[in-house]
Amino acid sequence: MPTIVPTVEFTDTRLANGLRVIVAEDHLAPVVGINVWYGVGSKHEVPGKTGFAHLFEHVMFQGSKHVAKAEHIALVQAAGGTMNGTTWLDRTNYFETLPAHQLELGLWLEADRMATLLDALSQENLDNQREVVKNEKRWSYDNRPYGSWQEKLQGHLYPPEHPYHHSTIGSMADLDAASLEDVSEFFRTYYAPNNAVLSIVGDVDTADVLAAAERYFGAIPANPDIPPLGDLSLPPTLGGEIRETVYDRVPLPRVYLGFRAPAYGDPRLDALDVAGQILAGGKGSRLHKRLVRDERIAQDSALFTLGFVGGASICAGWATARPGIPVERVEAAYIEELERLAVEPVSTDELARAFALIEADELGAIQRVEERADRLSMYATLFDDPGLINRMLTRYLAVTPEAIMEVAAATFRADNRLVLTYLPELPPADAASVDDAATVDDSADDDEVAA
Amino acid sequence: MTAGTDPRRDGPVIAERPAPGTPRPYEFPAVRSARLANGLTVLVADLPGRPLVSATVIMPIGSADEPADVAGATVMTARALGEGTERYDAIALTEASERLGASLHAEAGWDAMSVGVEVPASRLEAALELLAEMLLHPTFPASEVERLRDERLNDLLQAQADPRRRADETYIGTIYAASSPYHRPSAGTRETVGRLDRDVLAATHARILDPATATMVVAGDLGDLDVVAVAERLLGGWQASGISADGSRTVDASGAGTGRLVRVIHRPGSVQTEIRIGHPGLPRRIADFHAVGVMSAILGGLFNSRLNMQLREAKGYTYGAGAGFDLRRGAGPFTARAAVNTEVTVPAIVDTLAELDRMRAEPVSETELAAARDFLVGVFPLRFETPGAVAGALTGLAVHGLPLDELVRYRERIEAVDVAAVSAAARQHLHVEDASIVLVGDADAFGAELEAAGLGRIVIERDDAPALDGAVPEDEAAAAVAPADGSDDLGPTAGAEDPDLPGSSDDPAAADSDAKDGTLGG
Repeated sequence: MPTIVPTVEFTDTRLANGLRVIVAEDHLAPVVGINVWYGVGSKHEVPGKTGFAHLFEHVMFQGSKHVAKAEHIALVQAAGGTMNGTTWLDRTNYFETLPAHQLELGLWLEADRMATLLDALSQENLDNQREVVKNEKRWSYDNRPYGSWQEKLQGHLYPPEHPYHHSTIGSMADLDAASLEDVSEFFRTYYAPNNAVLSIVGDVDTADVLAAAERYFGAIPANPDIPPLGDLSLPPTLGGEIRETVYDRVPLPRVYLGFRAPAYGDPRLDALDVAGQILAGGKGSRLHKRLVRDERIAQDSALFTLGFVGGASICAGWATARPGIPVERVEAAYIEELERLAVEPVSTDELARAFALIEADELGAIQRVEERADRLSMYATLFDDPGLINRMLTRYLAVTPEAIMEVAAATFRADNRLVLTYLPELPPADAASVDDAATVDDSADDDEVAA
Repeated sequence: MTAGTDPRRDGPVIAERPAPGTPRPYEFPAVRSARLANGLTVLVADLPGRPLVSATVIMPIGSADEPADVAGATVMTARALGEGTERYDAIALTEASERLGASLHAEAGWDAMSVGVEVPASRLEAALELLAEMLLHPTFPASEVERLRDERLNDLLQAQADPRRRADETYIGTIYAASSPYHRPSAGTRETVGRLDRDVLAATHARILDPATATMVVAGDLGDLDVVAVAERLLGGWQASGISADGSRTVDASGAGTGRLVRVIHRPGSVQTEIRIGHPGLPRRIADFHAVGVMSAILGGLFNSRLNMQLREAKGYTYGAGAGFDLRRGAGPFTARAAVNTEVTVPAIVDTLAELDRMRAEPVSETELAAARDFLVGVFPLRFETPGAVAGALTGLAVHGLPLDELVRYRERIEAVDVAAVSAAARQHLHVEDASIVLVGDADAFGAELEAAGLGRIVIERDDAPALDGAVPEDEAAAAVAPADGSDDLGPTAGAEDPDLPGSSDDPAAADSDAKDGTLGG
């Protein structure tokens, strides 16, 4: 199927120290996106040291040998740029978008912290950012209605020994225990050029960029001893339904559904993504139409996948019950819609509409240099294949009704289902009953990060 | 791009910061302007190479213009436009739009209502047909209106439980007089939303739709499509209802006149306190708009703003602190905000007030001034990478009746802001002594310390025992921020999206989107 989305032309090279450099020229606007993915995420953390990857990401904005605390951001902003960093289960990324003539500033800043971060690391900065991260956790999870769902999702869908079991925000007790030496060790292990991908997209000349990359990064030593991850493989399903009821400070009950799903990169996850579009992609989607519009039993509904490369991804969603509607009724209707997808093929028109929206989304996403650079880094880091930037859409558009039925049948099964039910808070004595045998993590979590 | 000869190296890296290369000039895209016979203004920005086109029809009548007893009617009218038209029911309209890969949407905020679409260029004309149908021929089916009303009432319940929304809603109910529309959420309160039915929405629609004051903006790779001819075909027959509202009238933005009030919504066991500090601020059309922008950036807009450096980077009290002006047709609020861990609630307030005082008392340094100016000027091209952003800036001009050269001259006007102008803006527009303080958090944990700090008259409200104060009825305080209040503020914001609070770009919870409206600064 031909697509209206333009092809991204790029070059893909490696410096002698292993740093992968990907460059895509785009001369429409005088801007450049610089993006570095490090192949380290919360899955690399070991018990007792959860939350390190994310805390570390904060430390990356605290200065390096030639850059003072807070100066990284000051320099980017004064150059008319924006920047951030995020941490996720499989990786950590850092990025700047700058006026194109400030390209070298961005490269210099990234190189300085890749090579010399430890020269600037201090107990004071570590302590400060530890407090910031604790407030991030309070803000993103603890002080937010339904805020614990994501941590619970990971905690239930992955067994305790699996590195996806804990959230990226990690345990506050572990963060409290983090020493300067721990943080230094983390840096020396994972923040090496041979564990990074640098993508540059925008109004630049490829030869100039490659020369500059060599100049700024070429002498940073590789780490030949990056420890391999253990085996992340998992059974494809949970092996039994898990249910938990959570009493929270919420006015309306909400049910979250979670499922183990095919790993990111598996074409079956592409089919599940298309299924997600049909089930929950806007006002015309099946869940919205039935729960919110026709039966009027829910205030809202959602469904999405979180793709991970190790073992299994997550497919999850929720619906919030309207006042007076038993949450069980909402759950039953929600599940019925998922299961219907496994037994009835989607119509040609439904699939065509989903494709048109996916295609337009793709068109919208890659129009910004920041997003294009991020995707190049992502596909290179996770799949050793930056060319996926031009093939993922084709893969989505090749999904068939049969493939959707197959993945729905394999995923939306009772024995692969987590049901988290949030109910308005009861007196403290009754709170937080766990009615299954699953272990509940004691920390909240999440992804990301931030400077 | 090459930076001179042999830079000094220090071990594996280059020790010196590189000099910038030669900037390629950037100009805001050229805009063609036309006017149809019925008065509709059409603005067209052809952006070759940008195939996802953005089109919007914006009408400068908003929530601030609606009668107080049906507050929320404008926002709900916008939401109901797609719920059924003369030719389509809601699902048929949605499906027709999806077949084009178009996202068709309508929003309303304080200053305007708009209908917009993003669509691949090849299907623009078909998408505009749907947009015109939705704009001109909605039927407001009673049953769908009833559903939207219930959803809004449920949303108000949810807002009560969310500390952020509770703080925002309580804050506007505290700083504005009850006579001001800004005292209430733009999407209405429990009491007023209960009155909204199809007749109210149809009347609101008739009041807002007037081609003589409306503007259509189209931006993207238009190829040889004659947009004005398409507009003429689809919207040329649009005539005003004859009862159109006057979008140029003054908005009552009176302050509550309470002086410094410390209002606490007690939330037992809260691990953070949501803090809002401020007062009624400024309208968009002010002479010192650019100085206010620079001042806001220094105070609370940049990541390295005074507030964020003090509260986050020095003290670790918060994930992010900021401040800024929400510039509307009338004087929208000035707000300093942060969420801090409960134990440091009072010190965080004291620090925030001290920074507001310092902004007024001391001139900013040349370094601070340069950082803010350079950011606002330098980030300008980055802000207009997409057709949606270009169209958004142009609709902002239309809402506020500003000329096209406002954007063209933006950078030189920012460059011209000096230390004296920043000081003058701070002294004139920050009213620290009258700033109210709204807190949502565990009053039992910080109440005594708060009293001892002597910051002002304290009112503590507990959900089971409504305010004795009576200044702000509980119902009013409970309202939600409008989910879509995006039409104001063409001014490049200091944050240009959100550099004031970098973070969490991969948050799946973002699907659960909170209201996001334009503010200048933080």
